Amino acid sequence: MRIVVARAEDFAPGDRRIVEVDRRSIGVFRVGDRFYAINNHCPHQGGPLCLGRTAPWALSSGPGEFQVSEEHALLACPWHGWEYDLATGQSFLGPGEAPVRSYQVSVEPGEALTDDPDLRMAGRAPGPYVAETFPVRVEDEYVVVDTQPVGRDRRTER
Amino acid sequence: MTIDTDAHCAPASIKTLLPYLDAYWREYVLGANLGLSPSVGGAYPPGAPTSGEAGVPNTVDELRAKLLDGSDLRYAILNCVTPFDVSRNLYFEAALTRAINEWLRTEWLEHDERLRAGMVVPTLDPEAAVAEIERLGTDRRFTQVLLPVRGLDVRYGHKRYHPVLEAAAAHGLVVCLHAWGRVASAPTFTGATHSYLEDYLSNAQIVQGQVTSLIAEGVFDKLPDLRICLAECGFAWAPSLLWRFDKEWKAVWREVPWVKAKPSEYFYRHFRATTQPAQLPKDAKELAEAVELIRAPELLMHASDYPHNHGDGAQRLLAALDGAAADAVRYTNAAAFYDLAS
Repeated sequence: MRIVVARAEDFAPGDRRIVEVDRRSIGVFRVGDRFYAINNHCPHQGGPLCLGRTAPWALSSGPGEFQVSEEHALLACPWHGWEYDLATGQSFLGPGEAPVRSYQVSVEPGEALTDDPDLRMAGRAPGPYVAETFPVRVEDEYVVVDTQPVGRDRRTER
Repeated sequence: MTIDTDAHCAPASIKTLLPYLDAYWREYVLGANLGLSPSVGGAYPPGAPTSGEAGVPNTVDELRAKLLDGSDLRYAILNCVTPFDVSRNLYFEAALTRAINEWLRTEWLEHDERLRAGMVVPTLDPEAAVAEIERLGTDRRFTQVLLPVRGLDVRYGHKRYHPVLEAAAAHGLVVCLHAWGRVASAPTFTGATHSYLEDYLSNAQIVQGQVTSLIAEGVFDKLPDLRICLAECGFAWAPSLLWRFDKEWKAVWREVPWVKAKPSEYFYRHFRATTQPAQLPKDAKELAEAVELIRAPELLMHASDYPHNHGDGAQRLLAALDGAAADAVRYTNAAAFYDLAS
């Protein structure tokens, strides 16, 4: 099902909208010129994921050294702070922590480097949870979310 | 064979140290009639059951007679905590620690090849501590740098102390955080204690703060070879602290992005703890569970804490370990940690 969320011109960078579809709640985010949609349900313990803060990747080369990426590519659940990649729904543990064994991360061939989780994750390892994400398009100046869920690694740009 | 990672000695009085002080500080001591407190800042009141009846050995002959001779000790590491809370004059503290190290060298280490020692260093002036580590760092009989677990107003992971930790690591010296210390520093997060019981208990509380600070403030990525011995601070607290520390770090890692692995990984890689005092359950099944949770065979190093008396916990611990684990705690963990050849 395709849901019209808002007029694109009313949806400023940094904004988010939460839409209710059937019994599902989906958060639609605009980061720069990109739109993302993610299920408003944290796979950890069911918290309202889309009420959380967005954050950039953080890097450090030693005590007191901080670098952050430009874009807010992550969404943190307000309940326990689990962070998810807005584009893929992939959760990430702290830096260097091994992923839970039962979960496998695959990198599809031909994928653009910016989508490669090994490069995007800034030293952090994929966690056990993946939040549902949905394609978002801008059609005739309206932001439209498609409730057909997509797997990780897919994103529609404006 | 056994290695004792925490045995105590102390000068009988400050007069013992006069030959190791220069003329200015001799005059300072004698002019002010300065003394050394036998209770070391409230740590060991001479009549308290924890202080032990034998008294702290003042001479190597006394230590030989009471601890070394007839034992299976291959090494005993001397920790002289005398200067932990003597003075707030940073220049005197530097002179006093230097004098104690020279006394240890001349009157102890020269006289028994089983002895090793922690070098005492100033806490008020990190630069002076670095200078003392540089001065003595090549004498392999000093196996560690001794710091009071109850330090000053900042914890040891703070960047103020990084040069001290760095100098120790550069010389291959362990840094030993030993129970007790500065009585003017509040020992708990809610302030000062009101009884000896609370003070005695507080070492295990303070040490958790120091462990947290050293890991959270990124010391071990900067100094991957640094090793920390936790002496006389207990260890039964480790599972609860680390469970919580690992869990909270997953959510709050962003504030400390230099922490690159789970706090518990840093802990078991960089820290060892001495076996005295051992706060453990008496029930055999519960004791076995505690040993497993604590990862005792990896973490612990035998210590007599002579002459202090913390009850029979450490004996029960050793009795609960199988042969290989008991050997690790008695000998091999310390031999590896301190790089001591047999």
